[in-house]
Amino acid sequence: MISICLLCAGVASAQKSLLSQDEHNKYIYYEVVDAPGTTTDSLKKNADGFIANTYPKEKPLKSDNFSINIKDKFLTYSSLTKHETGEIACALTIECKDAKYRYWITDFVYTPYEKNRYGNFVPVTGIDLPLEKATTKISQKDLDALLEQTGAFCKQTGEKLKKYMKEGDKVKKTDQQPVKKIVTDKW
Amino acid sequence: MKKLILLLIAVTGFTLAKAQDTVKTTSDAPLVIYGSVDTYYKDDFSGHANIPTYFASDNNSISIGMIDLGLKKTVGKASFVGELGFGPRGQFQSTPNGDGSEANAGNSFHIQNLYVSYNLTDKFNLTAGYMATFIGYEVISPTGNFNYSTSYLFGSGPFQNAGFKATYAFSDKVSLMAGIFNDNWNVYTSTHDVSTFGAQLMLAPVKGWTAYLNLATGPSSGTIFDLTTAYQITSAFKLGLNAATFTPAHGGGGYDGVALYPQIALSKAVTFGLRGEYFESKSTDENPKSHVTGLTATLNVKAGPLTFIPEVRLDHKSDDFTTFTKSDGTLTNSASQFVLAAVYAF
Repeated sequence: MISICLLCAGVASAQKSLLSQDEHNKYIYYEVVDAPGTTTDSLKKNADGFIANTYPKEKPLKSDNFSINIKDKFLTYSSLTKHETGEIACALTIECKDAKYRYWITDFVYTPYEKNRYGNFVPVTGIDLPLEKATTKISQKDLDALLEQTGAFCKQTGEKLKKYMKEGDKVKKTDQQPVKKIVTDKW
Repeated sequence: MKKLILLLIAVTGFTLAKAQDTVKTTSDAPLVIYGSVDTYYKDDFSGHANIPTYFASDNNSISIGMIDLGLKKTVGKASFVGELGFGPRGQFQSTPNGDGSEANAGNSFHIQNLYVSYNLTDKFNLTAGYMATFIGYEVISPTGNFNYSTSYLFGSGPFQNAGFKATYAFSDKVSLMAGIFNDNWNVYTSTHDVSTFGAQLMLAPVKGWTAYLNLATGPSSGTIFDLTTAYQITSAFKLGLNAATFTPAHGGGGYDGVALYPQIALSKAVTFGLRGEYFESKSTDENPKSHVTGLTATLNVKAGPLTFIPEVRLDHKSDDFTTFTKSDGTLTNSASQFVLAAVYAF
């Protein structure tokens, strides 16, 4: 039983270790994915489709024949009371080649939130902290919590991306499966 | 029993692990609980309380502020916020007792915020209920202020406005709120009608700088113009400003005032700030014009969710502004106090 507890605690803290540091010492979530039998064009088409479906209101920062780059952000929450503690902006890049593609999420910048007079949590104006330098303003414990949530977000985004890159537009269709019909006058 | 406890721990651990696996990226967050508790000790150097501003009111006493407890929930475009205050700061010092009827005269409703809100579009929001006022720099919740004691401007302006408001965001840099509110400030129920008009223009001209131009005017509540602005000039230095002028609906008087709030972060745990205020009561048929200046030096020392707030305050007034007395009871125009407060936010 104790080992189950330790396992569960381990799963929670494992998200942080999903992040690496690149050659500029910036946190990065990076993965190369093999896609045998595919071409650069077909992979790029799926990458464009993923971006268009996931970020319908955002314009890519950069897009050419084999890569696309877009800004993203996600909210962070306190562990027990589940109110917003801030938001983390980041950038997602997808690069395609024949039979494989790679993607990475980096440029993590944390903006802390504060409670305003109406009970809403809103960004603290003028404070943007790159995660690599965040300990100049926040404690290591708070940074660890942010890194865990960042790791979980990247993993979740990566899984969605990989599904879309594999299945293309079918992802949308399978997500909206019709309700199965039952005819009750037959056994 | 031991097995049951271990099973509960395992289930809890699994739930937490699972929760961290999924990042919420939509606005449909779970029911959110937030709030704070605060407690303080004050020593007025005269030996008795002199400075009449709100909160930190008890002298030579370890006293409580309030437990502030908020709940909020958003589903799709609809939200609610309910925020309750228990304790002197959250009850008789900042909210009305009852709804004006005799039966409820001694009955605190504890309500700091109680409103519902609906986003008609991404840019257009409608909100109705009993809300913290949109006027002013300082707020009731101790987590929203840098200084623990409050300014004369804060105590003289509205605390809450009940009403209906619409807010349109033209961009990230400009938004406009307009609304109609109960005839008087700080009431759960209007005395006669819903006749205070309120408006707020928000401007964010450069990154880190926000300014709010506020107006509330009505035949019962009078007219207040207010400017509230803050500029995070560097990552360590922030400058805030509040200026207001108020004219009552009847009888003359009112006030003008300005307060400046420079703050500098000395380390990630310690920030030092000043509040310099000039506040003037306008003359009436009975009373001449009078004024007070206040200088407050405050440290915020953070230890996780807990903030320690040591503070020294020196006020100096003109002859006709309220009454300050020395330790022997003789009149004086100066008062000073030390406050040590602790605020825990969750």
